[in-house]
Amino acid sequence: MIRVSYPLNKVLTALARAHVTREKLSDTELVGHELGDTERSALLAGDIRRLYELGANPYLIRRVFRPRFPI
Amino acid sequence: MADIVAAALASHAPLITGKPGIARPEQRERLYAGFHEMRRRLAAARPDLLVMFVNDHLQNFPYSNLPAFCIGLADAYDAPSPGGSTLMRIAPRRVRGAPAWGMALLEAGLAAGFDFAYSYEIESWDELSVPLHFLDPDGDLPVATIYTNCAAPPLPTLRRCHEVGAFVGRFAREHDGASRVAFVATGGISHWVGTPETGRINPEWDRWVIDHIERGDVEPLLRLTWDAIERDGGNGGQEIRNWVAAMGAVHGWKGETLAYEPVPEWITGCGAVWVHA
Repeated sequence: MIRVSYPLNKVLTALARAHVTREKLSDTELVGHELGDTERSALLAGDIRRLYELGANPYLIRRVFRPRFPI
Repeated sequence: MADIVAAALASHAPLITGKPGIARPEQRERLYAGFHEMRRRLAAARPDLLVMFVNDHLQNFPYSNLPAFCIGLADAYDAPSPGGSTLMRIAPRRVRGAPAWGMALLEAGLAAGFDFAYSYEIESWDELSVPLHFLDPDGDLPVATIYTNCAAPPLPTLRRCHEVGAFVGRFAREHDGASRVAFVATGGISHWVGTPETGRINPEWDRWVIDHIERGDVEPLLRLTWDAIERDGGNGGQEIRNWVAAMGAVHGWKGETLAYEPVPEWITGCGAVWVHA
């Protein structure tokens, strides 16, 4: 099933284009983005599985949360 | 009018050139040998235009505007850019585009019911840089690009990709803007990138895909759904849309595998397949 979260992909696109790479994000980096509570908590935790389940694009997940990936 | 002088299918992944040392040497050398043979054959075919079926990785098209098919009209492509050069360990360079050829394709497509998007500025990543590093190391050939959405589902069906490829093939044969055209599709085969299964490869599925390419029997590939590819080939496996498009451009041609290596360190089932009449 295709899951797409536009809010997550919008914030991840903005961060990826700013070359941000993190294990987890901070509140400051999420300022100005309209996110649900579950989306926000997944970004703050750097929970890549949860982000994927919520509809974040995996290419964007990998770019922003690169330190989370051993390879 | 143009002759179609070659067609080739090649996986792309930044680690293929970016971290050669982490792969098992025998796998790396077999794959590189396949790419080198592909380069030798391509040079022998003496194309004057490379038409490349490739895909964005969300570096160009954001979720506010995602074309299913986009013709590149750039005068030149960074392949790679200085930033990409660091990641891919390939010297930065500019390769010529083919904007006049692309514009003619765009107009012909719109007239024929293929509603391509177009872009005058494309940031290219490994989808161009890595294959061209092996196939056109001197950067002599102009490159026309057709970007298909393989990364941000919902995606165009494989059957539609094949139809688009067939149209591009007909156009290439009829148009006067080039005389010797080679098609190169990049991407695939199986890989999981950025998902919880990142690093998984499915060699069995890869061989199933290659087997059908070798026999020129693409119909089972055209029936693949997004879900089936996601399950068996991963999100990176969706890039076989580019391969299928190229097979549409050279209808009836068959593949010859020059190399296939499932390289876990590069998180990609890596294939190099020559396609001939």
